[in-house]
Amino acid sequence: MGITLTDAQEELRDLVRGFLAEKAPSEAVRRWMDSDDGYDPDLWHQMARQLGLHGLVLPEQYGGAGYGLPELAVVLEEMGRRLLPAPFFATIALAAQTLLASGDDQACRRYLPGIAEGELTATVAVCDVNGSWELSDITATAQRDGDGDWRLSGTKMFVIDGETADVILVVARTGDGLGLFAVDGNSAGFTATRLDALDPTRRLARVDLQDCQAERVGPAGDAAPFLRKALDMATVALAAEQVGGAQACLDDAVAYAKVRVQFNRPIGSFQAIKHKCADMLLEIESAKAAVLYAASLTTEAADDAPAEEEFAICAALVSAYCSTAYTHAAKENIQIHGGIGFTWEHDAHLYLKRAKTSELLFGAPAAQRARIAELVGI
Amino acid sequence: MTEVITDADAAGARAAAAGTDDEFRKALRSWLTDNHPGKRPKDPGERQVWQKAWLAKLYDAGFAGPSWPRAYGGMDLPFARQIIYQEEYASARVPGPLGTGLGIVGPTLITYGTDEQKRRFLPSMLRGDTVWAQGFSEPEAGSDLPALRATARRDGDEYVVNGQKVWNTSADIADILFTLVRTGSRESRARGITYLLIDAHAPGVTIRPLRDLTGGADFSEIFFEDVRVPVGNRIGEENDGWRLVRTSLGHERAAGTMNQAALYRRVLNELIALARSRGATADPLVRDRLADFEIRVRIMRYQGMRTIESILAKGEPGPGASTSRLFITAFEQDLHEFAVDLLGSYGTLGRTDVHSVERGRWVWGFLRTRASTIGTGTSEIQRNTIAEQVLGLPYDPAMPPR
Repeated sequence: MGITLTDAQEELRDLVRGFLAEKAPSEAVRRWMDSDDGYDPDLWHQMARQLGLHGLVLPEQYGGAGYGLPELAVVLEEMGRRLLPAPFFATIALAAQTLLASGDDQACRRYLPGIAEGELTATVAVCDVNGSWELSDITATAQRDGDGDWRLSGTKMFVIDGETADVILVVARTGDGLGLFAVDGNSAGFTATRLDALDPTRRLARVDLQDCQAERVGPAGDAAPFLRKALDMATVALAAEQVGGAQACLDDAVAYAKVRVQFNRPIGSFQAIKHKCADMLLEIESAKAAVLYAASLTTEAADDAPAEEEFAICAALVSAYCSTAYTHAAKENIQIHGGIGFTWEHDAHLYLKRAKTSELLFGAPAAQRARIAELVGI
Repeated sequence: MTEVITDADAAGARAAAAGTDDEFRKALRSWLTDNHPGKRPKDPGERQVWQKAWLAKLYDAGFAGPSWPRAYGGMDLPFARQIIYQEEYASARVPGPLGTGLGIVGPTLITYGTDEQKRRFLPSMLRGDTVWAQGFSEPEAGSDLPALRATARRDGDEYVVNGQKVWNTSADIADILFTLVRTGSRESRARGITYLLIDAHAPGVTIRPLRDLTGGADFSEIFFEDVRVPVGNRIGEENDGWRLVRTSLGHERAAGTMNQAALYRRVLNELIALARSRGATADPLVRDRLADFEIRVRIMRYQGMRTIESILAKGEPGPGASTSRLFITAFEQDLHEFAVDLLGSYGTLGRTDVHSVERGRWVWGFLRTRASTIGTGTSEIQRNTIAEQVLGLPYDPAMPPR
């Protein structure tokens, strides 16, 4: 089955948890979120080289350690717990997984070793101005010029870490269905503008493409099937991050409820607080089971259609469930903290902002439930 | 007294000795198939006879009590095979146990009973020769069970029991009542409670079925008037009964975790079929709710898998097991209420109306599942317990000391 952590996975968790507890305390997170790049390049390189986190889930032939989604989930859960501002999710969970899903060996050889070493950051640009994560709603276009090179036009929104990424994988419409295209962040005709994101710990950008030269990634023909799979992988990875954030909210709320005294007793001794915390635990434990299960589906040689469909259902499931659970935990954490929870100084609002925005990336819970209804044949 | 089957040639003993789990599963499955007792009789009296005959057959073949020691007729299976047993038993759709003794007083007797008590009570309970019912709750002692008042006064080699019990499932068909009584002072709370086994047919015992809000009578109330109980029917020491109440054998309860997930998988499929048959599945609101149930029924299974896997790998069920009951009870209430809403005007009909949909099962389920968040500890008490025992939140100082 494989839905409890193995000893090795627990070791990985403890390693990352200990590392981030030391290197990424709240003061540092707040410093990075206000910095130009939005993250700390030194820490980035330490994570890549000392811990080997960037290459952990990349195949060995591309300079990685060959682990899979369960290990990525372990790492992201810890990053989510700390609200680590870094282009790790965009580069590893989104871009690298998309490159792998494309099956394009040449593109993988070109980009993945640099990603594994921490030398290259990347992201994927999916949404257009219409804000839809439905692949069928994409309107940005790709056309060949006189030399046979691909040229992209259009505007992409909500591109995670799009302003700092070295490589942007752009989803655009060709005459032959959707295509995936790699664009250098310094290309002519490429502009990335930072958006004023609600969540200060995760950067979002608007990307404008004006006849911008690009390399096609993946086979000719419609890229929608592998893009769908890549987005599902990223969705499960994001859910793991959400679980970590939700757990941090619960831990924080419980710790505070034990020491905050009102009416001559710790507020955690009141049933009104206990019940909130018990409900948070219920949702978080349920979310953990779902993420572990979804991640385990990718580890077996599961190329058959039923397994792929099961994974698609699970991706939508964990997205809907973990999104709601995280936002709920973040709101309750503020409520349990009372006035302190409403201050800028306390981190509770950072979790709320991360929770709410994560909920809306890759499709909101209602959209995910609509997808489940369709996939299970309701 | 029921004879203990120690025959190594019994079908159950041979199955339990199977080399692989798969062989065990096959042997159990084929025995359950070959010995299936047929259709459930409608008449309650006939049904009880039918059920008792099945339990005796199961026991005599050595296929009863997966987690129980062999010395008392059980199979003493390792945890992995207990899961297999529960899965096969559930999918074979054979009768379940009569009364509520097996999962509650059974493990308590196995752990704390004297040899004489174990020999006398356990095999007959397992074989269904005696039906057992619980006598814990009282009108004034529900969630606050340590406030119970039914008294037992020592008189020579006997206790004299007086008082009232309530919410006693299957008490109307019971032979033995496993009961908590007060032997200490009124104020002694949990320190003055004794665990007694009371003959349901003894003089002074009155058992009255209690009609519940569904119109059925699964529960009873029990009145004790100067009921004389031999001291030999006491489990553990006098005033030491409270500690014995929540005894279970290893993780036997977790072994059946997956069955509930499987049951609700089936019920949800039936609900989806109902929605489809009523032309409701095009409605986005209906689709949204059904998808939410789909998510929850799947998570129920993943959580069950996780608990079982954790027990197998680490010997501990993990924190997820503590919340699964809250998860399931909220689910079954929500699901049934949604089903009634889906019926629209037809949701106004009771079970017996000729126009009622699917013989009123959804409306009945809506009513029945009100008990889900009350029985065996209200959801509120469970949340308290989770908050205190799993999250370590402080005990409520306004509550009586433990």
